[in-house]
Formats: sequence, structure tokens, C-alpha cells
Amino acid sequence: MLKATLRSFLAHKGRLVLSALAIVLSVAFVAGSLIFSDTVTRTFDRLFASTSADVTVGPKDDDLEGQMPSGAVDTVPASLAERVAKVDGVADTHVDAAVENITVVDRDNESVGPTTGAPTIATNWYPTDRSPVELTSGHAPEGPGQALLDADTAKKKNVAIGDTLTVLAAPGSFKVKIVGIATFTTTNPGAALVFLDTPTAQTRLLGDPDAATSISVTAAPGVGDTQLKERIAAALGPGTYEYQTADEQADSAAASLGGFLDVIKYVMLGFAGIATLVGVFLIVNTFSMLIAQRTRELGLLRALGADRRQVRRSVLTEAALLGLVGSTLGLAAGIALAFGLIELMGAFGMNLKSTEMVVGVGTPIAAYVVGLGVTFVAAYLPARRAATVSPMAALTDAEIAGMGRPLRTRAVVGAVVGAAGAAALVGCALSSDTGSAASLLGLGVVLTLIATVIAGPLLVRPVIRVLGGAFPALFGSVGRMSQRNALRNPRRTGATAAALMVGLALVAGMSVASASMTKSFDNEIDKTLGADFVVQSQNFRPFPQEVTDKVRDTEGAGLVVRQRFAPVAVRLPDGKRIETTAAAYDPRLDEVANVTYAEGDSGAALADGALGMDVDFAREHDVTIGDTVPVRFPGGKDAELKVAALTDQDTADGFGMQGGLFFGTGTVERYVPEGQDSALYVNAASGVGADQLRANLERTLDAYPQVQVRDQADYKELVRGQIAVLLYLVYALLGLAIVIAVLGVVNTLALSVVERTREIGLLRAIGLGRRQLRRMIRLESVVIAVFGAVLGLALGLVWGVCVQQVLALQGMKALAIPWGTVVAVVIGSAVVGVVAALLPALRASRMNVLAAIAHE
Amino acid sequence: MSTAAAEHSLGRAEADGVAARARGLTKAYGSGETAVLALDSVDVDITRGRFTAVMGPSGSGKSTLMHCLAGLDTVSAGQVWLGDTEITGLKDRELTRLRRDRIGFMFQSFNLIPTLNAAENITLPMDIAGRKPDEKWLDQVIDTLGLRNRLGHRPSQLSGGQQQRVACARALASRPELIFADEPTGNLDSRAGLEVLGFLREAVDQLGQTVVMVTHDPGAAAHSDLVLYLADGRIVDRMEHPTAEAVLERMRLFSGSGAQPSGLDPRATADGAGAPADARTAGTTDLDKD
Repeated sequence: MLKATLRSFLAHKGRLVLSALAIVLSVAFVAGSLIFSDTVTRTFDRLFASTSADVTVGPKDDDLEGQMPSGAVDTVPASLAERVAKVDGVADTHVDAAVENITVVDRDNESVGPTTGAPTIATNWYPTDRSPVELTSGHAPEGPGQALLDADTAKKKNVAIGDTLTVLAAPGSFKVKIVGIATFTTTNPGAALVFLDTPTAQTRLLGDPDAATSISVTAAPGVGDTQLKERIAAALGPGTYEYQTADEQADSAAASLGGFLDVIKYVMLGFAGIATLVGVFLIVNTFSMLIAQRTRELGLLRALGADRRQVRRSVLTEAALLGLVGSTLGLAAGIALAFGLIELMGAFGMNLKSTEMVVGVGTPIAAYVVGLGVTFVAAYLPARRAATVSPMAALTDAEIAGMGRPLRTRAVVGAVVGAAGAAALVGCALSSDTGSAASLLGLGVVLTLIATVIAGPLLVRPVIRVLGGAFPALFGSVGRMSQRNALRNPRRTGATAAALMVGLALVAGMSVASASMTKSFDNEIDKTLGADFVVQSQNFRPFPQEVTDKVRDTEGAGLVVRQRFAPVAVRLPDGKRIETTAAAYDPRLDEVANVTYAEGDSGAALADGALGMDVDFAREHDVTIGDTVPVRFPGGKDAELKVAALTDQDTADGFGMQGGLFFGTGTVERYVPEGQDSALYVNAASGVGADQLRANLERTLDAYPQVQVRDQADYKELVRGQIAVLLYLVYALLGLAIVIAVLGVVNTLALSVVERTREIGLLRAIGLGRRQLRRMIRLESVVIAVFGAVLGLALGLVWGVCVQQVLALQGMKALAIPWGTVVAVVIGSAVVGVVAALLPALRASRMNVLAAIAHE
Repeated sequence: MSTAAAEHSLGRAEADGVAARARGLTKAYGSGETAVLALDSVDVDITRGRFTAVMGPSGSGKSTLMHCLAGLDTVSAGQVWLGDTEITGLKDRELTRLRRDRIGFMFQSFNLIPTLNAAENITLPMDIAGRKPDEKWLDQVIDTLGLRNRLGHRPSQLSGGQQQRVACARALASRPELIFADEPTGNLDSRAGLEVLGFLREAVDQLGQTVVMVTHDPGAAAHSDLVLYLADGRIVDRMEHPTAEAVLERMRLFSGSGAQPSGLDPRATADGAGAPADARTAGTTDLDKD
């Protein structure tokens, strides 16, 4: 039996190629993402482990992690170093002064920082054996006017020793001359590094000659890190500062980098998921068709005495072989993919070494589990069907099995699951609570997807009758045959189209969601943004006071309202502690923004000791106007603020932060004195034209490339751009789904062509031209692809509307259906059909007529 | 009956009476030492308006002859004409068009497109060509074959005999110059087979069609006007107005005498071609139609 299975596997290997390819793709993405993240983790673990001081003493972590940075830098007194040095077991201490809230520009006012979102770090220079860099040319910085630059940045931005750069730091801008170049001895995580001498770093970066961002401690020989940490904590008082051993430091450093790497990992796993899901359809189809074609052969095996189990096992063994081959190739492809990603990271300035690629034990295990698992699961149903082939099938010239079998079970299961899914979606649309709406949405999406996949074959007939209805009129008998070929085996057509459907449903849903978000934000910006211009950095990062001063001094600038952010934790009357980010505004906010109040007004909210919040949030947490709410600011500073106004905006406050908390800049300046401005709302002085002001502002801000001047239209562009990033990711997923779906259509058509060899031979004999034959196959392909697209779009649009209903709870009330995208997807799917038909059609048209007629 | 046509075919000179013609038709498979001659310089004229049967043992080249005459297969040497058109040397597209417009086909099995109903199958060659069928002729064909109340049926809903009748109707529908039937009764029971043969006969007698049928069944061959015997790629004999018994007798003769010389030396058949030709003359007189 095994011999027969092996023979059969080898005999059909051509027909299994595309299935194997689908497995290879899914496994490659799984393996690639694992290898990549393992490699990155190992590299950075090593980097941080080798560069972290034995013990680090830093400012106390207050657990306030805001979505928006306040711009303030937490410090410790530099004199702490001397106290630490006295602790028994300390060999050496260093004062650290490192900040990321700076921008470094060259002579042309162009930023030398990374364009990838990685930070520019300015720090003090003290070489130790833990330094990630070494001085490779020039000399160490001495005095206020000198600095080192890292070699990668110097090379990328064409900076040489002797060049002058400007550091735009919080306390003020200053010029430095590059006196040396430092080269990474370890992996460069992609940041730009500027080194100053310690006093300069303290004064110019922290604005305080006696401040430090942390104290690095070297342990004396024989003293353990943990032991030393405990001694230092005992000496300085536990809880006063944050004490970390090298390992803890490395972990937290890795964790902060982890966010970005996790994104890559999840994107890759998303790709793997899509590839796997779509690949399943392809494999199911392949095995179903192979078994249909081998009905007589299987019948013969049964007639010769093979029992059902043996037949089923034979098919499953074949699947396992396919899975094994696919997984192995997929693993190899995954290594190649990881290699490519690592090289790509190099292009973003992160010089990982592909030679140090880590292939953990988990990777091959995951690869084979996914590859074999998927194939096995996909082949199980066809294998069961194969086992039901009766010995009689060997004797009769049976029609292809599975063609006429009733779809009743599918209809029932599809209807039940579909009804449950529809109920979940309706529930999500009606729900008023974001949390439960989102979970109902997820449930509804999954259930309706399953229902559509199950019921797909039932929809083949009615939908394709309509889609291909014009074919006979347009293309004569060629059109008629292609339409009927697509209808011939509804299961096959359904499964083939399902692969395309999944991808397109996701895209349609995401497109509706993003179009709705864009429209909502547009509406919101139109409604609320009253200022002529907003001065803001690209990613809402705060900017130095200098920028604010310059803007205020700009000719033609009238009112300037500052906006700041501060991470806060509020304790609310219902007992909940909410961590969020609060916004702070200057008075006269009403002149630059249209805020709708349910109670109170801007004047009350921005007054000293007052607080404004969203009316829905207040209601949810039993807050009423006049309540006093304890608010904790970074650094453990506590305030008691009185709720003086409740806003009733569409979105919480235009930034979607929980609670929409806001107060006057006076409050934030008191509790976060080192905070920086995050945005400036600028109105033109009376008699000054907007264009005039814009030109003046842009001239003024030329030296500050980190901030831009935006009017309403620019602001909308910015928001659109941010939503678009999400969409690009979705489009990339779609691209992969489409590639595999195309493989699926190619697979189905190729196997159908083989199955219909005699029919094609007959058609050719009685005078069907090669071109007409190709057209027939192409039309069949197009109708299958468009069927998948129609199903996917219908499903996706429903999902999208439900997503919008959930978003509406967050204030995004506008619904927009991107009809352009919908039309493009339908046309695109037709193109997909044409492309998928290329090879099978060519193969069919090249068939030898005589051999085809004689084909058994 | 078709006596006039039969006599025409004997006096091969008149080109307008010839539906298809082959001269020096040779078909070889493989090359060099291992080359196998399926057809060895065959000269044949298919007379218009007659029912010609091609007989011969398996491997005699009878199917190859039909395929070459029908433009389904390429030739190694020689020339083939359909009417006045030389089809040897035509490109695939021209051959396809020729088959579509001027030739009708019936095969042993799998004659119909399963997705099309009977009516659609019948008009398929014309639909492919984008031509309107001649309704009057079509009606006549459908009625002759008794398919009027089967037109909306799919092939799977028809019996084997009905399927072959639909195939026959399709072959006739475009009123081709020549109909090729390859073992049309091979898959049918004897009653259905007789029915189909009767229709082919009628197509010739009443509708004036030209039919070439490849068969190894003497009973089927007996329905024809002329039987051509093939052995080892050559036409070794011909019989006018055959009967089943005479055909069977002749077949026995060939399996005895025809095989031996070819077994010794294939070239010998060329010289020995005269001998069966004598037998032919005898046969024509002996076994004339009753």
C-alpha cells in the first residue's frame, strides 16, 4: 500500500506543485518571522548586555506611560555619583546625561537624524569597555563647542570632522564642531549618536550642570550585580530611585525596542496566517480533484481488497509527503526571507549581521507543525471522501465523484453559522459599549467568514448565472461553455473563489473603516480647528521653547495658543484609576478651536486648578461638575483638580485619548515644569493675510526642520497619511493573499484542463481554434475570480459598516464607502482571472488534438 | 441507389466527383532505423455522395488515414486534398477552420460536450464559427435523426445511442463536404449501432452527404457503398456493395495471406499489391449486393 501511495505521489507530483508552493509560502513566512525576531532579539540582548553598566541608578519610574510625550526629561542629581561611589563594592561611577528630545541639523538646516523614526541621541562621552562605540578618528570632545558623531550617520549625511552642526535641545540651540568620529563596535540599532563632554551635556541638554539622567556603576571584582544593587539601594533609600542591574537594564532596553520589532513580527505572522488560510483552500481543491480523477483507481484498490482505512491512510500519507516537502522548502525559503529582512533592516540603518542569523529549535518545529498540519487538515475531508469510493467505481465509467452530491449539509451548516454571525454583527452595530461591540464584531467577522466559505458552493449557481449571464450573448458558445464550466463543480469553484474572497473581504472591510476614519477626521478638523495654522512636529513630538518664542516673534503672528501633553493618572469617584494623557492649552483656546461644551466653557476648564473632561467619560465614571479629582503627574507629583467643564465633542478631544482630559498650561507648567510644547495654534494678526503669515512662519522655522506649519488642508493630509500607513499594510497583506489566490485559480484551472482533456480534444477536432479555446478558459477564470471578488466585497462591506459602527462609539461617526476601491477591486479581480488563466490556457491550446481525443 | 456514384469512383478522373483525395500519403512515426510506417504511400479518392468504409486489423493505419484526410494529423510525405484545397502544408489555424466549416466528425465515444444540451452540441461548430445554422436543413437533420424531443437534454440525460445520434446530427448540421466517423458504433449495443448506421446511410442516400467510416466491424462495413481494406499502411483491397459475410470472408483472407509477406519484408507488400487487387475483382463479382 505504501508503495502504491509513493508511486501515486510521484506520478502526480506535477499536479501537486502549486499546493506545495502554497505550503512553502505559509511556512516561509512563519519560519522567516521567527528567525528574524530570534536574530534581532539575540543581537540586541547581546548589545544591551554588553553595554549596560553593572548597576544603573536612575530616576524613579512613576509608571506613567503616556501616548504623547510631555517632552520633560527625568533626572537625578549628579552629586548622587559621589554618594554611590562610597558604597562598599563600587569600583567606579559615571554620570550619564543622555537625551532623545533633540534634533541635530547641519549647515543647510537639514536634520542629520534617522528618517526611520529611530531617535537621535545626544549623550556625554566617557569611553569604557562597555561603550557601544569607539573613537576611530579625531579626538574626544572637550568644552562646549565640540562633539563626536557616529560613523554611520556621518557617512549617510556627509558630515566630516571640522563640520559644524546645530543641536536643537530643550534648553536652547547650540552649535558644535565635529572633532571626531565614533564607530559602532556592536550592532547599531539605527539611532544617530552625538557625544559631548559631560559638563556640556549636563548644561546644554539637561539645562542643569548638576543633573544627570542616570548614574552608571561599575562593580568591584568579586561583587555581584544584584548584591551591589541591594547595597546601593540600602544606602540611597529603596524607592527613592530606580536601581537596575545590567540584566534588568538590558531587559528594559530590549523591551523598549521590542515594540517596533513586535510590529514586524506580527506583520510577518499576519502574512503567514493569510498565506496559510488561503493555502488551505488550494490544498483542499487539489486533493479533491486528484481523488475525483482517481475514482476508478481507488475503486480498483477497493475491489482488490483495500479497506476504507487503507484508502484514507493512503491519501493522508500522500498529504503528509506533500507537507513534508513543502515544509522543508518553506523552511529554506524562510531562512532566505529572514536574510532579506535583515539586509533590509540594514537599509534602515540597523546593521544586523546576517552571518549571525539565529535559527532556534522552535523554528523548524513551528515550520513542520504548520506545513504538515495545514496539509493534513486540508487533505482530511478529501481523504474521507476517497474512502467512500465504492469498489463498483472501478467497473463503471462513473462521472467524476462529488459533482452531483447534494449540498444540503452545507446549506444547513452555512445558514446556522451565518445566522449566528449576522446576529453578532447586528449586536455589534447596536451595542453602545466599545469593548463588547469590538468582541461581537470579531465574533461576527469570523462566523460570517466561515458561513460564506461553507455556503460558497451554494452561491456559485445563482451568482455565476448572473455574472456570466451575458457571456453566451457576448461570446457565443465559447462564452456559454466557459460559464457552464464554472458552474460544473460548485464545490471546486466555491473553494477556488473562497481563497480570493478572504483577502478581498479583509481589504473591503479595512477600506470602509479607513475611508470612514478619514472622513470623520476631516469633518472633525473642519469643525474644530479654528486656527489659521498649526505648528507641529511630524510625530507629535514636543519641540524646544525656542520654537515657540520664534513663532511668537514672527511678523504677522497674532494669537499663539500652546498645546502640551502630560501623562497623568486620575483617581475617579467610581474608584477607578485611569492612566491617560492629558492636554494643556493656553487661555483663548476658543479662538483657535471650536470646542462644544455640555457644561462649563473653556474659560472655566483652563482656569487655575480646574480640569475639563469628556462628558461621556465623566458620566461613565460618576464624575459631576464641581467634583475634585486627584491627578498624579510624572515624578509622583500629586494635584487636586476641580472638574469645571464637560466637553461634548464627536471624538474625545481630536486625538482620541481616553477621557479627553485637559487643563490650562499653567497647571502643566507647575507639575511638569520641564515639559515642552507639542503644538502651537497660530492666528494671523489683524490685517495680515494667511499666505503672508505662512511665508513668514516658514522662513522663521527654517532652522527647525522638526516642525512644520500646517493649515486645515495640510492637517487633513497629515491625518490621511497616518491612516494610509495602516492601509499600506493591509494592501501588502492583500497582495500576498491575491498571489496565493491566483495560484489557487491557476491550480484549479490547470487540473480542470487535465480533467477535460478529451473534451478539449473533441472541441479542437470539430473546429474550435486555439485562440477560442484560450478565451474559453480565460472567461471561466475571470468568472471564478469575479465571483470571489463579489462575495469578498459583499462580506467586506458588511464588516466595514460594522467596524464603522464600533468606531462611531469612539466618535468617528461618518460612514464612507470607497466606491472607487470597490470598482477597482472588481476590475482587478477580472485581471487576476485573466492572469491566472494564462498558463492553463496555453497548456490547453498546445494539447495535441489526437492525443487528447485518445486520452483516457 | 448509389450505383452511379459507385461507377464514378471507379473512373477516378473526374475531380468534381471527389470529396477528398490523397497521393503518396505517407505517415511515419519515429525516424531512422526505428521508424514505423503507419501509412506507406497511400493513394486514395473518396467519392462524393458515397458511404466509404475503411477496414483493417489494429495497427493497419486505418485511423491514421482518417486523421490525415481530416486534417487532424500531419503527414510525413505526400499530398492530401479536400475538394480542391490541398490541406497538406496548411497551418493549424487554417486546418482548424477547415475542420470546422467543411468536415463533420463522429467519434467512438465522448462525442459531446457535457455542459451543452443536445441542440447546443448540434450547432456547436457553427456557433464556434459565428455562423447562423440553416434552420430548414437543421430541422430536416433533427427530424431525420428523431431528436426533436431530446434537444433540451444534456448528454448525461441521453442514452449511448441517443448521444451518437446527436453526434451524427452535429456532423451533418453544417452540411459538411465530408463526414468522418471513427468507430461510431464501437460503444453501442447492436440495436443502437444499427440505428446509427441506418442514419449514416440515410445521410448519404437522402441528404446527399459523403461519409467515411473507420470500423473493424464487418457488420458495420456492410452498410457502406465501398470498403477499403488497409494492411500495414497500404490499401490492399476494395469491395463495392459489401455484405457482412463477404467482408468477414475477406478479412479472414487478409489475416491469413496479408500478414505473411509483410512479416518477411515490408517492402514485399508493394510488389504483392497486385495479388489482392485480383482478389478484389473477383470479390466484386462474387459478392455483389443482393
